[in-house]
Amino acid sequence: MKISLNWLKQYVRVYSSIEELQRAVTFLGFEVEGVESTALPPLTNVVVGEIQTRAKHPNADKLSVCTVDVGAAHGGVRTIVCGAPNCDPGNRVVVALPGAVLPGDFKIKQSKIRGQQSDGMMCATDELGLGGDHAGLLILDPAAVIGLPINEALPGGDTILDIEVTPNRPDVLNHIGFARELAAWLKYDVRFPEIKFRGKPDGAPRPDLLAGIRVDAAEDCPLYVGIAVTGVKVGPSPAWMQERLKAVGLRPINNLVDVGNYVMLELGQPLHVFDAKKIRGRQIIVRRAADNEKLVTLDGKERTLNGRMLVIADAERPLVVAGIMGGADAGVDDTTTDIVLESAYFRPSSIRWTSRRLGLSSDSAYRFERGVDPHGTVEAAYRALDLILETAGGTVVSPVFKVGRDRPWSREIKVTPNYIRAKIGFDITDDEMRDALIGLNLRITAEHDTPKGIEWTVRIPSYRSDLDRPIDLVEEVLRIYGTDRVPPATCAGPALIDGDDDPIVLFNRKVTDHLVGQDFHEVVNYTLRARSELATWVSDASAEELGLSNPFVDDQSHLRPTLVLGILDSLKLNQSRGVAVSRLFETGRVFMELSGTVQECVGVGFVLCHNPQDRVWLARPAPDFYTVKHQMGILAAAAGIDLGRAELVPVRGAFWGWQEGHSAAAGEMKDGWTARFGLLNLAMVRAAGVEGQVWAGMFAILPGKLAAAGAHPRYQNFSLFPAALRDIALVAAAARPAGEVRAQLLTVARAATSATATGATFSVEAVELFDLYTGAGLPEGKKSLAFSLSFRSAERTLTDDEVNAAFVKIQQDIAADGTLSVRA
Amino acid sequence: MQETLNTLLARATAELPVLKSRADFEAAKARYVGPNGEFTVLMKQMGTVPKEQRPAMGKLINETKGRLQVQLDAALARIGDAEIAAQLGPAIDPTLPPPDTGPGTYHPLTLVREEMCRILRKAGFTVVEGPEVETEYYCFDALNTPADHPARDAQDTFYFPEKARFANLTKKTPEEKYLLRTHTSSVQIRTMLKGNPPIRIVSPGRVYRRDTSDATHSANFHQIECLYVDKNVTVRDLKALLDYIFASLLGQDTVTRFRPHYFGYTEPSFEVDLSAQHLPKVNKDWIEIGGCGMVDPAVFEGVGYDPEVWSGYAFGMGLERLAMLMYGIDDIRYFYQNDLRFLKQFA
Repeated sequence: MKISLNWLKQYVRVYSSIEELQRAVTFLGFEVEGVESTALPPLTNVVVGEIQTRAKHPNADKLSVCTVDVGAAHGGVRTIVCGAPNCDPGNRVVVALPGAVLPGDFKIKQSKIRGQQSDGMMCATDELGLGGDHAGLLILDPAAVIGLPINEALPGGDTILDIEVTPNRPDVLNHIGFARELAAWLKYDVRFPEIKFRGKPDGAPRPDLLAGIRVDAAEDCPLYVGIAVTGVKVGPSPAWMQERLKAVGLRPINNLVDVGNYVMLELGQPLHVFDAKKIRGRQIIVRRAADNEKLVTLDGKERTLNGRMLVIADAERPLVVAGIMGGADAGVDDTTTDIVLESAYFRPSSIRWTSRRLGLSSDSAYRFERGVDPHGTVEAAYRALDLILETAGGTVVSPVFKVGRDRPWSREIKVTPNYIRAKIGFDITDDEMRDALIGLNLRITAEHDTPKGIEWTVRIPSYRSDLDRPIDLVEEVLRIYGTDRVPPATCAGPALIDGDDDPIVLFNRKVTDHLVGQDFHEVVNYTLRARSELATWVSDASAEELGLSNPFVDDQSHLRPTLVLGILDSLKLNQSRGVAVSRLFETGRVFMELSGTVQECVGVGFVLCHNPQDRVWLARPAPDFYTVKHQMGILAAAAGIDLGRAELVPVRGAFWGWQEGHSAAAGEMKDGWTARFGLLNLAMVRAAGVEGQVWAGMFAILPGKLAAAGAHPRYQNFSLFPAALRDIALVAAAARPAGEVRAQLLTVARAATSATATGATFSVEAVELFDLYTGAGLPEGKKSLAFSLSFRSAERTLTDDEVNAAFVKIQQDIAADGTLSVRA
Repeated sequence: MQETLNTLLARATAELPVLKSRADFEAAKARYVGPNGEFTVLMKQMGTVPKEQRPAMGKLINETKGRLQVQLDAALARIGDAEIAAQLGPAIDPTLPPPDTGPGTYHPLTLVREEMCRILRKAGFTVVEGPEVETEYYCFDALNTPADHPARDAQDTFYFPEKARFANLTKKTPEEKYLLRTHTSSVQIRTMLKGNPPIRIVSPGRVYRRDTSDATHSANFHQIECLYVDKNVTVRDLKALLDYIFASLLGQDTVTRFRPHYFGYTEPSFEVDLSAQHLPKVNKDWIEIGGCGMVDPAVFEGVGYDPEVWSGYAFGMGLERLAMLMYGIDDIRYFYQNDLRFLKQFA
């Protein structure tokens, strides 16, 4: 919202400097987004000159050499080199003479430009500190006196504030509203424009201009005022009005249109002016549009309407999208002599809905959808009539049509000063509060003594529909008192409140600390990914479920099902920039599809990149599957999952993104968690533009599965007697997982050491694989797995005999099912 | 005899210091003092020495034995040292770089978030989390945002298709849509609905706006938000907490101020500016850092708290913005590019 200071001064005295004014606006709660001045700063040695001749610069294509008359007092005709396209003879321009200092501390000196003497500079608007562009010289009025100091030639000027108005304050989207706020801050009164028309038309009824107004949709248009004026003369609006409109960025059109805009920006009420001759059937009908009804709006676009949209129509066709934009062929033009002025109140949500649906906004819609003063409708119409009669002449025709009711407004809020003090937490006197309220035109109409202290009844004006409750008045008082005056205080020592940090937070901290400790760099990537990328990671059906309905850009349309995608991006970026990178990880939410529903999961992903071309003076072993398995076990443990107990499935077929035979999966989303780890699919990695082999892991778990910290563990007693060790090598089918063989051996060993088998009273403490062998000495398709068995008793040192007896039994039993044999 | 002993000792003195290995030593030792060693044999000859010569001879043998033992001990120690030296290999060059990658680094957003959480933890706030995919109720309705408010527009908020189903989220009505949360304030509602006051929580997290990405905007970014609900909470208490946070985070020279503003879920509402001239690259007097206010009574009513009894404050700010201010970073996109030369600067 642009506010012209000159315009504002019509209603409130503003003595303060721009800086003070800006501060006032800021602390009233409106952000100042920009300040633009059209007033010249005081400039010396800058005068009016007239260009006499122009010749091409001998040494530069784009420069001209001009002679400029700057008046006898300043040395008469001077030679000035100029780069502007419009330095034509006859133009009166602004000349900065040697010794002048332009805004930005730009000092003008005599100089040589490409070998050509130049005796000053002709100025564009930006060089004078007036904003605007650098496209050409500022051309002055031909009547400007040559040699006159520029501050005398261009007096006045204006200051324009660009203000951000919060959506709760539509009453400030105009100069009067803004003046009211400023007056409250400065403790001045607002001078309202005098309204002369009091609703009594001079002219006789003219049913041939407007026979009547009918409102068919009173719910969306509670009040509609229409007044006909005959004998107007269309022409330019007066200079003062044009100047004010231009200052706030509006293009003057003609006196009738300009009055409408002027009153909107003065009082906040959008208006519409119809050419009475174009109203067919001499009837204005406020109705809902028919479905698929068409209207070409002023911007030349054909709009397709529907039955929820409100239009202002005549007997035959819609003329205006109510409150938003007029039709192309119903407005005033140069031949207009009779008009109908519309001032109405439209339901904000109706305007907002239509404006959004049509993708059509306007100054009018902007105000209606936020809410105009429901009791300013008639007053604004009268103000506009005054200005129309003043600028375009004519006679107001009887009657003033008014359809609907000006609903009585009486809102009062009861509040005690003690309540206000209790909410803000510091002392403001009753008098200060009273002054603040009265300054805002919030009159205290009654005072009562109550057990809670004195109570005020505060009358709320109709344009402040945002004020409804006592708490709203707390804000008003604080605003005028000054929110920057809230006194400092120390943070009160809080009572302890139950609960630890969320399990998600604890999990993230644990895995982050671990991985950083393992030399990983933490990265952060976007959640939204391209649909095409997802194909590498999930099925088409899953990808479908992860899509947004309104993505902003195509490559950010779907929720990520894994963090690895983003981490690969980071890997690629660093590689392409020549930054050595090997270990990256990320934590964050990932989204998993499970039988048609999407689950938001807590996730962690990491990569270990090995590039054999990396040069190091001392080689380290390359990472392999078991490196990532080790890391994955630790990450899963942070979530309370024991990966050692989980069933690990090697990748076969479509496990999305992973290299078959070199990666594994554990857990499924139906169990609430999943882990995938191993080598990333080489083709995919290459396609992603990443060099080398990438080992990776991802872990996802439902937030609900992350248990809060449980009870402390219980200490388990352990034996102080020595263990007895026996080694056994087993020959198994090469394809058989080692975990399965170990499990079988463990079962057999437990059975062999149980009391019933050999009378033993000790246990097998551990079965650890320590060697894996294939090759010479073994049959084709077989492998040898060597395990170390450790036996121990809680009560005594074991004898060789009893351990041997058990071991012999193990050797016999393990071969019993024929799948394994003991290697001699 | 004496001559024999001297010869023997001279030979040992010559031989033992040049022995190379433990095996050679053991062999030499056996040759001298083993059961059949030369010295052992001489000792056994003591019986043949005339009685009157025995004391002198005994003394001589003992002295020789002592000297021999010194030689043997020295040889053993020397060989032991040599063995250790052989195990160690050549001496290291302490100035060579470790060939391992690292150290690992925390992302600057993590560092700022955790520091904020630590500071707030001291003031009694616990960290809570909530889902990033939300329903309209938690993101808007419960926060006093009317159904036709512009913030809810599909132009500004990411929505999911009507058929989308999220397993861990329940809709209030079938018409309600799923969306990506536009602020972490939805977590306030979840917390208030789950528990009873007093409440003191901080909720950091990722939020989404349907917006162009540039130096200061990002399709997703992070917020950190606080909610305090208790009896007799005042505007001044809110100011005190903010002063404490920013003094802790940015130094005691940091000053904050309130500017009136509007948010649907707080009344009164403020924007928070801070002045931190001591930070590098800060060339503005006042920097807008977040929004705050006193919880609107309508929000309390919506979660079933009596606004006559309970009062509270809430504030939120962007983590990226805070990190940019703290570290003097001038482009938000650096956080999401993860160039290691960037990431390594904050560890």
